[in-house]
Amino acid sequence: MNMHESTDANSRAVELNCSFGHLPLKTPLLAASGCFAYAEPFAQFVDLRLLGGISTKGISPLPRHGNPLPRICETASGMLNSIGLENVGVDAFLRDKLPLLRELGVSVWVNFFGTDFETYIECARALGGADGIDVLEMNISCPNIKKGGIEFGTVPEVAHRLTRACVDVTDTPIVVKLSPNAGDIVGMAAAVKEAGACGVSLINTITGMAIDVRRRRPRIATTYGGLSGPAIKPIGLRMVHQVARALPGFPICGMGGILSGEDALEYLMAGAHCVQVGTACFAEPGAIVRITEELRGLMGELNIATVADAIGCLEALPPEVEYRAPR
Amino acid sequence: MPAAQFDVRVVENRALTGGYFVLEFEAARPVPIAAARPGQFVMLRGDWGRELLNPRAFSILHAPDDRHFSILAKVYGRGTARMAALAPGDPMTATAPLGVGFPAARAGVTQLLVAGGVGLPPLHLQARVAAREVGPRSVELLYGGRNRDDLVLLEDFARWGVQTHLATEDGSVGARGYVTVALRERIELARARGEVIELLSCGPTPMLRAVREIGLAAARPTYLCLEENMACGFGACLGCAVPVHGPKPYRYCCSDGPVFDAREVRW
Ligand SMILES: Cc1cc2nc3c(=O)[nH]c(=O)nc-3n(C[C@H](O)[C@H](O)[C@H](O)COP(=O)(O)O)c2cc1C
Ligand code: FES
Repeated sequence: MNMHESTDANSRAVELNCSFGHLPLKTPLLAASGCFAYAEPFAQFVDLRLLGGISTKGISPLPRHGNPLPRICETASGMLNSIGLENVGVDAFLRDKLPLLRELGVSVWVNFFGTDFETYIECARALGGADGIDVLEMNISCPNIKKGGIEFGTVPEVAHRLTRACVDVTDTPIVVKLSPNAGDIVGMAAAVKEAGACGVSLINTITGMAIDVRRRRPRIATTYGGLSGPAIKPIGLRMVHQVARALPGFPICGMGGILSGEDALEYLMAGAHCVQVGTACFAEPGAIVRITEELRGLMGELNIATVADAIGCLEALPPEVEYRAPR
Repeated sequence: MPAAQFDVRVVENRALTGGYFVLEFEAARPVPIAAARPGQFVMLRGDWGRELLNPRAFSILHAPDDRHFSILAKVYGRGTARMAALAPGDPMTATAPLGVGFPAARAGVTQLLVAGGVGLPPLHLQARVAAREVGPRSVELLYGGRNRDDLVLLEDFARWGVQTHLATEDGSVGARGYVTVALRERIELARARGEVIELLSCGPTPMLRAVREIGLAAARPTYLCLEENMACGFGACLGCAVPVHGPKPYRYCCSDGPVFDAREVRW
């Protein structure tokens, strides 16, 4: 048998079915919030049933119009965005957008947020009552909310209280999406776990800036925006790894800069139970399907039969031989 | 019409004057591009690795059949610099046709096509289609640039029998000054003649703002083909907001436009 045949045979044997806590997933690859709208624009390009799941654009109780333009700009190996959490609002979401998602038979994660405690709770309650939502992904990390939104995502005690308050009003599992802008990512994850979150998603975008020197102006209207794409992958990996080591067994959905099957496998090895793909979907609407096949092939090649086998399978580097100064 | 993403190869990279170049592509399989309306666009991305993530948007210059299309470009940044260096056979990925184009030419209306710089392609295609389907007198091109080298593909308009009014800032060809001067004169002439006109424009934003003012002041239907930073091109990222008057403060350049009614645009 030559190498090629054995790889093909192995990748046929790879099983991508997996789970996130108690939640079954057809594959560990989901679309990231804000990068897949409510899935409709992608239907013309890709068979959406091939995805492991979809995290929707963040939903708030009332519709939001979003920020002034320019809202996005490309940066080295990434992009900055300041969309301003534009969304259709809970009512229109449940009426117009959820039915399509529900029909796909993939895991439906509804990303949501508020601007204060009351609106977070209101949103969790309204969405939690709906059929066909597998996870409420609570965004406490968007750097774009002007009114102190950054607070929820960076102070563990506040995140704990907010998570507890939302968990109390719904039976739908809540996954808290963490901000890399938090000083203590492990402290944040531990706080929301303690408050009843069934898992965490990380990382959201990292606050950044770009300048047009010829016009002496910031490149996006809000001056600062969220950096995404391959530029942030090393940070995402590091944070997933830290949380996985500190909270063994606690489900983590990893993301930040995934463009290939190898990127996805890195996140699984760091300890993520599943991953989301965001920015890659803009240039390539079928990116997640390609990445799924790349992951299957790579796992076959490396003799990793199941996703569970990949999760956290990272090994420590061997220690260096001790240095002894010449006598 | 749904869009598709497909692989293409460069057939020709033809340099024009003024740093402009025409890239002609062949798709690997038949794609729904021949029916593209003037103003519709294609997102193009090369084998750019991880450094440049986002595709670049280009108006479709021409799509003669379901395997071929071309664009007009000029070097503006890192993406277009790489595209200028493309050679026959080089691969790219295309997503098309995207967006909503200009209203079609029709008998009884003269469409004044006001173009500046790299805004020529959708109006070039509008003229091509109009000359073929309605007649060359249904459109007229008003075309401005800094100098003679900035005005490209003029021979096509001559071939189709479409009248052109040229303006250059240095006076090297046509009237000296901005194209908007020629536009004002042409609108006056139409008024005197009782001619029904529409303004269709694409080009640099300062020019579009001026065309909008002129069109609104003259109370003539005016359509602007706008440009915004785009990441996806198909309504997923919400990055390409355009400020508008209406029930909502923003619409989207890629999916609601790129062509907008000037009355709607909140400038
Ligand atoms: C244009 C854009 C909009 C986003 N909107 C949201 C959002 O509404 N809610 C959220 O939790 N994350 C949002 N994100 C963050 C992504 O879900 C993801 O965490 C981040 O982009 C990192 O992944 P990536 O590098 O694969 O894009 C957005 C990202 C981008 C680029
Ligand atoms: S470019 Fe993404 S929505 Fe228009």
